[in-house]
Amino acid sequence: MVVVVILAYAAVAALEIWLWAERPWQKVLLYLVLIAAGAVLAALLLRDSDLKVPEPVGFVTRLIKRLWEGGGGK
Amino acid sequence: MKELVPDHQGLVLVMLFVVGNTLVFALGGVAGPDIWLAFLLATVLAIPMILLMARVRSLMGGASLACGLEQLLGKWPSRALAFAYAGYAWRLACYVVSDVTNFIQAVALPTTPQVVTATLFALLMLWAAKEGVEVLARFAAIMSKVVFNVLFVTFLMLLSQVELGEFQPVMYNGVKPVWLGAFQLLEFPFLEVVVLFWVFDCFRSKKSPYRVFLPGFVAASLILLVMASTSLAVVGAERYAQFYFPVWAAVARINISTFLTRLEAIIGVTFAIGSFVKMAACLLAASRSLAYSFGFADYRFLVTPLALGVIPGSQWFISTLLDVELSVIKTYPTSATFFQAVLPVLIWIWVEWRARKLGRGKSSPTQAGGQ
Repeated sequence: MVVVVILAYAAVAALEIWLWAERPWQKVLLYLVLIAAGAVLAALLLRDSDLKVPEPVGFVTRLIKRLWEGGGGK
Repeated sequence: MKELVPDHQGLVLVMLFVVGNTLVFALGGVAGPDIWLAFLLATVLAIPMILLMARVRSLMGGASLACGLEQLLGKWPSRALAFAYAGYAWRLACYVVSDVTNFIQAVALPTTPQVVTATLFALLMLWAAKEGVEVLARFAAIMSKVVFNVLFVTFLMLLSQVELGEFQPVMYNGVKPVWLGAFQLLEFPFLEVVVLFWVFDCFRSKKSPYRVFLPGFVAASLILLVMASTSLAVVGAERYAQFYFPVWAAVARINISTFLTRLEAIIGVTFAIGSFVKMAACLLAASRSLAYSFGFADYRFLVTPLALGVIPGSQWFISTLLDVELSVIKTYPTSATFFQAVLPVLIWIWVEWRARKLGRGKSSPTQAGGQ
């Protein structure tokens, strides 16, 4: 199933890039990076449906809280 | 090419965005019988943020979003900001798709995998986002007549089931539930309007952002207030907070001479239309801001990969109906506070300072009239 999903993403990307009138490498690169990210996410979710969601802002808040509590604690 | 949306269409887009996927959920349920107070408080608290957002867009004059941001914030800060909001808008699109797929699975298609409905909605919003904000606003203007007429007729029919005693006693549990309810409403859906800042490319005049954002938001909040309060008066305060979809349950009780019954499906249609507009706007905002952050003038080439990313993303952030419920009733998580309140205020302070420096703070009559 993982292979099928990755192939589907690759097919969509190939078709759409083929349809572009111009293909500047910057656009193609960004497009492929995003498609690859989507395909990897889909594949990872197929392997593990309880994949953890990263919380960058939450991490900073927890870090500040920990530092704050650490400063005031015994 | 600049994408210009007429003020009245922009206003309707804001209304549908706010009403969007929120209508069926137990909005502000923690406030109990004081839900109407929570709505009023949330609206009053949100208006300064809406005005602040309109002010920032107004200071850009007739410039497009990219040019205006670069002039007011500088090249790299504005690109970093756009990158951050691209992530936020994409995540919001995932949440909206997840809300819709879970709703559809719960009420209509229990055995259909969510990924199927998510793919269909992703394709639809991909199409809408590729067409651009002008087409989306025109679609919103046409469909709003259907949505708001249906809601009005539903409201009239619900009046036969309303029990006004459900609102009493007023503030029996004190002020705290009202504040909690208001903060729930601010996070979802009121201040999600920040995403629309990145949807509109340019406005007709300097006053247009005020004409679009403020009346659109206030009208949408009043519609939600009326529908949520009416539903609470029909199903009762306790059940309103317990049900996953209280409006759905309330409309299901409509029975006019045993002739007009089971009308909840029409609420489902309005929910689907509103959700579609909201997810398309989020995808558009994500594509536009991501393209800008990488220095591209055209955003359409990013729509497809972002829309394809929404399909697994909608299963990643929220996987069950309970997660949907928790995402609706949570009171101000950190990320929402950061993107909906902290960043807009910081941007506004910076932009005001820069505008004064550039001599744009006070608008002359000719500027205010139009560009």
